[in-house]
Amino acid sequence: MRVTAPQFPTGPAASYPVAREMAEQSDVGELFVRSLIRSQLRLAVVVASGFLVILVGIPVLLSIFPAVNTWTIATVPVPWLLLGLAIYPLVIGCAVLYVRSAGRIEQRFRDLVDEQ
Amino acid sequence: MTFPELNPVVGYVSLVLVAVSTVMIGIYGLRISRTTGDFYVASRTVRPWWNASAIGGEYLSAASFLGVAGLILLSGVDALWFPIGYTAGYLMLLLFVAAPLRRSGAYTIPDFAEARLESRNVRRVTSLLVIAVGWFYIVPQLHGAALTVRITTGLPSWVGPVAVVVVVCLSVITGGMRSITFVQAFQYWLKLTALAVPIIFILIQLTGSGESLTDDGAVFRSELNSTVEASLYQNISLVIALLFGTLGLPHVLVRFYTNPDGASARRTTLLVLGLLSVFYLFPTLYGLLGRIHTPDLAAQGSADATVLLLPSRIFDGVGGDILSAFVTAGAFAAFLSTSSGLVVSLAGVVSQDFFGASVSGFRWAAIVSALIPLGFALLTDTLALAGSVSMVFAFTASTVCPLLVLGIWWRGLTDTGAIAGMVTGAALCGGSILLAAALGIERAPEWLRLPALWTVPAAFAVTVIVSRLTVRRRPKNVSRVLARLHTPEAA
Repeated sequence: MRVTAPQFPTGPAASYPVAREMAEQSDVGELFVRSLIRSQLRLAVVVASGFLVILVGIPVLLSIFPAVNTWTIATVPVPWLLLGLAIYPLVIGCAVLYVRSAGRIEQRFRDLVDEQ
Repeated sequence: MTFPELNPVVGYVSLVLVAVSTVMIGIYGLRISRTTGDFYVASRTVRPWWNASAIGGEYLSAASFLGVAGLILLSGVDALWFPIGYTAGYLMLLLFVAAPLRRSGAYTIPDFAEARLESRNVRRVTSLLVIAVGWFYIVPQLHGAALTVRITTGLPSWVGPVAVVVVVCLSVITGGMRSITFVQAFQYWLKLTALAVPIIFILIQLTGSGESLTDDGAVFRSELNSTVEASLYQNISLVIALLFGTLGLPHVLVRFYTNPDGASARRTTLLVLGLLSVFYLFPTLYGLLGRIHTPDLAAQGSADATVLLLPSRIFDGVGGDILSAFVTAGAFAAFLSTSSGLVVSLAGVVSQDFFGASVSGFRWAAIVSALIPLGFALLTDTLALAGSVSMVFAFTASTVCPLLVLGIWWRGLTDTGAIAGMVTGAALCGGSILLAAALGIERAPEWLRLPALWTVPAAFAVTVIVSRLTVRRRPKNVSRVLARLHTPEAA
């Protein structure tokens, strides 16, 4: 086997967009980047909190309304259905929502930079 | 303890098949793997679908494959929080870490820490933590291997861990990460098939025999549990550990560097969530059926063997043997894939810090990274798999998670703040777990056994407060680095 070692580490392989260079070098650019980071963080925090509220809400509600524990669908108790099945589509739904919105925020950023 | 109900030939055949196919795929990957960059991160050319399968393959460890079903057998509905946490951890990773971490261009977590904070000291502390996390995560995998080999072949316990370490070293040192990506992707589908095929036959058999699958709902009753009902604190602290521990696991994060750009890192994570959601249905079903068909395992302290023994309890003779071979192969794949993923990521860290980042250094580092946890595993006793893994998650959530999340999103982070936070988290969380172990897991109070709910906020708080106190140490190029983490690549 032959292994040839190039310069290492080589840094990111992705192409450097003009947007990034501009963002790193001008004040306007930095302003754009700050607002981009703020929007992305707000989005992430909103999705995470929404998910956590629902997730923690399940055991809290079950302990407030213990009667639900005895409900069954096709012999399967509702808590098992919620925690064993229903949670997963919720997780994926949150993820899809986030990926779409984060992509939109980035597109808006690109458009802004292109206008400059 | 002997399990005469399993045919040892089945165990030998499936173990050998998995080991040989893993090494073969590793050698096939070798033909493509050429440069140092290939060895470390597959030159970042791995497609989202491959990458997602590989992440799934690497992540679904002994705790997922055997441990989840074992816990459902023991604790019923409370155990469902484990797969939820294991899966939703990727949601948190997607939200807070995936794309920026990929854009950072760093190869390992210590690389990220050093680039972000311009400090060798942060790098050293992070390296030590990552290595500790990796080793403690490999140990339960090796315990799982010991259990599986003992139950399926009757060989002594040390054979399993030694076999896993040998196969892992062979495949890692021959192919590095590139071939590991193929191996891992293959392992996900192997594990899924290994659980899906037997359970489908079991369900058909049980439905055909006219029995009620759930014993008319009796299977769900908490009277079948052998543990007391978990408190709200326990469930929430566990979920916090799993949610925020995932985004600091070194073997998971190293996978994100193999995405071509930030957007594909997000797509990969989305696919991973889908793959995990499908996977966890199966251990849940095994655990449920185990509550009717293998309840004796709880009393024997071998609840983790539920998945391995369920098929032979339903089917006699050759049918049972074949289905047992499936689950045995899947279990062995689980230890191999998680251990090799961990060894690769550890070797990346160890070789860059101690062996000068060359290919031969990477190989030596891989061997060292595999042998030390082997020593630990041979010297210690098996705990419940899912339980011991959750402690590693709590530790990661209290140490690496604040560094990553604050480093990516907060300009104010300083090197002193990061070190203070990591040391606090490590001391509090590590101390609690050790103290709980010293007191005996049964008698230790729950806030010591499951410390994440208070140690994670404590680590975040200390990081922020100390960073605020050392404002002058903020790195000068923070704007540049954050711009690089967050600006999208050219469309």
